[in-house]
Amino acid sequence: MAWAKAGHEAAFRELVRRYERPIFSLLYRMVRDRALAEDLAQETFIKVLNGIKSYRPEFKFSSWIFKIANNAAIDHLRKKSLDTLSLDGSPSAETPEQMRATSLQLGDKSETPLDEVESRELGTAIEKAIAKLRPEYRSCILLRHVEGYSYEEIAESLELPLGTVKTYIHRARNELRVYLEDRRE
Amino acid sequence: MNHSEMHLTTDEIELWSLGLLGAQRAFHLSDCSLCRDIADRERKVILELVQLPRFAPTAGFADRVMAQVKVPTPSGDWQER
Repeated sequence: MAWAKAGHEAAFRELVRRYERPIFSLLYRMVRDRALAEDLAQETFIKVLNGIKSYRPEFKFSSWIFKIANNAAIDHLRKKSLDTLSLDGSPSAETPEQMRATSLQLGDKSETPLDEVESRELGTAIEKAIAKLRPEYRSCILLRHVEGYSYEEIAESLELPLGTVKTYIHRARNELRVYLEDRRE
Repeated sequence: MNHSEMHLTTDEIELWSLGLLGAQRAFHLSDCSLCRDIADRERKVILELVQLPRFAPTAGFADRVMAQVKVPTPSGDWQER
């Protein structure tokens, strides 16, 4: 980190190399779209590296970078939920023609090679169960059990009270267990 | 009720699932079918999570990032790339 702050390109590259997989994996599981996750990961690294001089060494670098990545994912998911059109068309549509014109056409999207990769990578039962969690639960559970961070580190990274992090993780595990047990029955 | 007879807390069950719970508390599981059942179910979920793979971005990711980063020179100036 000291090297990166002092301005060594090699140190920047080393930070990207070290964190690209964990950051990309978190974002990919949050947004479930490879191309979008890569854009958000790129945005995260650019923000972190261009702002490296504002990094405060009393905080862990990993907490800082995961906070920026998670914020990018949550912002995107919030925006997406606002933009989502109803299958029945815009809520302001008043006539059948307006409803048809503003409704989503499910048959329009043909499967691309990227879609196939995504369904292979994220198609397992546990990945589908994770996708059903609330985004806040999802980031906490991924940081805890995929990245192996402590509750305290997650609280620092996501700027949440420790008790909230514990609650989210326990609820997330309960929900996952129910999804997975339903699948097995 | 002494300490070893007390049911495991959620935190202790998580520690047990990760193999980190002390032997004295873990011993409770040999006597308590209620805790054992909860702990076994919890462990299954945790094991599925910890075995999840990490995914890699497409090749050239670092180059694409570095192309948009201003690298500060050791003197403190910013070097446009």
